Amino acid sequence: METETESQKPFQVDVGNLLAFNPFHNFPSLPTSRDELVKECLQEGTKLVQAVADSLFNLPSTEDVDGPLVKLPPPTTKLPREKHLPKPKPPTKWEEFAKKKGIQKRKKDKVVWDEQTGTWKRRFGYDRVNDDKDIPIIEAKMTDEPGVDPFAKRQDDKKKRVEKQEKNRLQNLKQAAKIGALPSHVQLAATALPITGTQAPPKKVTKDELGNVAGMAATSTASGGKFDRKLPGEKPAKKQGKHRRFLPVVEGSGIGSREKEQTENVLNKLISKHSHEILNVNKAVTMYNVKKEKRGRNRRNEEGKSSSATNKLKPKKQLQKKTGKKGPGSSKKGTAK
Amino acid sequence: MRPMDEKETTVVFEKLFKFTGNNLKNIVENPSHEGPDKDPGRYCFRLHKNKVYYVSDSLVKRATNIARPKLASIGTCIGRFTHGGNFHLTIECLNLLAANAKHKVWLKPTSEMSFLYANHVLKGGLGRITESIAPGDGVVVFSMSDLPLGFGIAAKSTQDCRKLDPNAIVVLHQADIGEYLRMENQSEQLIEE
Repeated sequence: METETESQKPFQVDVGNLLAFNPFHNFPSLPTSRDELVKECLQEGTKLVQAVADSLFNLPSTEDVDGPLVKLPPPTTKLPREKHLPKPKPPTKWEEFAKKKGIQKRKKDKVVWDEQTGTWKRRFGYDRVNDDKDIPIIEAKMTDEPGVDPFAKRQDDKKKRVEKQEKNRLQNLKQAAKIGALPSHVQLAATALPITGTQAPPKKVTKDELGNVAGMAATSTASGGKFDRKLPGEKPAKKQGKHRRFLPVVEGSGIGSREKEQTENVLNKLISKHSHEILNVNKAVTMYNVKKEKRGRNRRNEEGKSSSATNKLKPKKQLQKKTGKKGPGSSKKGTAK
Repeated sequence: MRPMDEKETTVVFEKLFKFTGNNLKNIVENPSHEGPDKDPGRYCFRLHKNKVYYVSDSLVKRATNIARPKLASIGTCIGRFTHGGNFHLTIECLNLLAANAKHKVWLKPTSEMSFLYANHVLKGGLGRITESIAPGDGVVVFSMSDLPLGFGIAAKSTQDCRKLDPNAIVVLHQADIGEYLRMENQSEQLIEE
C-alpha cells in the first residue's frame, strides 16, 4: 500500500465549493466484498472531509451569534452547465425579408423634430411626434367616402396595424418555440401561467388514468353500465367483471411475507373455530367418573379392614359434583396428537 | 400458476383440517430442504388450472420460467377445484395426510383389495380404529402393515361402530392408491411416489 507517497502529495481542496479531491488515489487491489469497498471509501472520504474542514478553519472568520462566520472564496473548479446551451434564435420574418432585400439597420434618435408643433418630441410614447390628437385639420381627398370620420378612421387604422404587428410577433415566437429556441423569460411564462386564476398549474392526466376514471364512471350505474348507450367510437370496457387482486406468485424467493400472513390468518381462524372440539367432554366425564369410582373403591377396601360397624355412622364424603368439572385428565386433550 | 386467495385458502384448509386437525400447522409450515438454495424455504400452495399443488419454495421460483399454458404440473397435486367451486382432494395428497392424520383406520388383509377397487369399508373389514371419531370426519385408511391405502369420510362414530352389523359401511371411500393403475388417462399427472 502506497500510503506514504499519497500522504506526501496534498489533496486538491476547492473551498469555494467545499470540495476536496485526491488525484493520486488508487485501489491497490480490488476489494473482495461490497462491505470492504464501502469501508475503504468511507476511510478515504473522512480524510478528504478533514482536509476541507482544515482549510475552512484556516480562513479568516468573523464572530457571529451562532459562531464563527467565514466568507468563502470564489470557487476554482468549473462545474458543468446545469441547463443546455441556448439554441440560436431563428430569424424573424422581418429579419429574413431585410436580409433578402439588403436593408441595413439604422440607429435612430430618441427625439425627433415635430413639424406640427415645432418642438423636439419623442419618437414614441407619452409626448410623441405625429400624434393623432395634434392634427387639427385633415384635408378631404377624392377617395374619401362621405359620412366617414377621418379621425376615427386614422385611429382604426392604427389599431389594425398594432394588432397585425402583435400577430406577427406571436408568429415569430411560435416559430422559435417550434425549434425550442424561445427566449428564457418567455419560456418560463408559457409553462408557469395557469389557464384560470388559480396558482396551481393544470395537472396532466395520463391516458391510463383517464381510462380508469372513465371506466369507473361508466360502471357506477345501477346495472353496472351494461345498458347505457355508448358514444360513437367508444371502446368496450377493458376489464369486465369484478376486479380481483392476487398475491404475486413468487415474492423474494418462494413464499413471501404477504402470503405467509394470509395463510397464517386463515389457519388461525380455522383452528380457533374448531378449538371447542379439542376437548372431548364425554370422554373427560367418563374418565373423571372412572377415577372417582376407583378412589371410592380403594377407600372402601381400606375401611373394610377396620371396623365395619362404624361405617354407617361415618359421614358421607361422596357429595361432589359429577358433571362440569374437567379435572386434570382433560388437560391431556389440549395437546394435538 | 398463482397463489390462492383467501376464500380458496379457507376452503382447502378446511378440507385438510377434516383429516389432520391441528396437525395442519405441520403441513402449512413445513420447512423444505429441497433445491440447491442454502436457507430452507417452506412448502406453499399454488393454484394452476383449477388444481392445487403443494410445492417447495425453490421449485416455485424456478417454475415461473415456464409459460402458463406449457406448465403441466408442479410439486404434488393435492386436489382440484370443481366448476362449482368445491374442492376435492386427490390421491396424491395421501402422503401428506398419512403423516399428519388424526383419525386412522386399519383394514384386515381380506378387505384390502375391496377398498383398492373403490368400494367402501365395511364393518367386517375393519381391523383397528382410532377412538373419538365423529361421523363426517376425514379418515386415512391403512393396511395392517401400516401402509397408507387411501382416505375417506367416516360414516359412523367409533362407539357406534361397535354396535353395527358386519355389512354396514364404516368409511366412505374417497381415494385409494389403486387409482394409479385404474385411471390411465390421468396417469401422466399422477406421479409415482
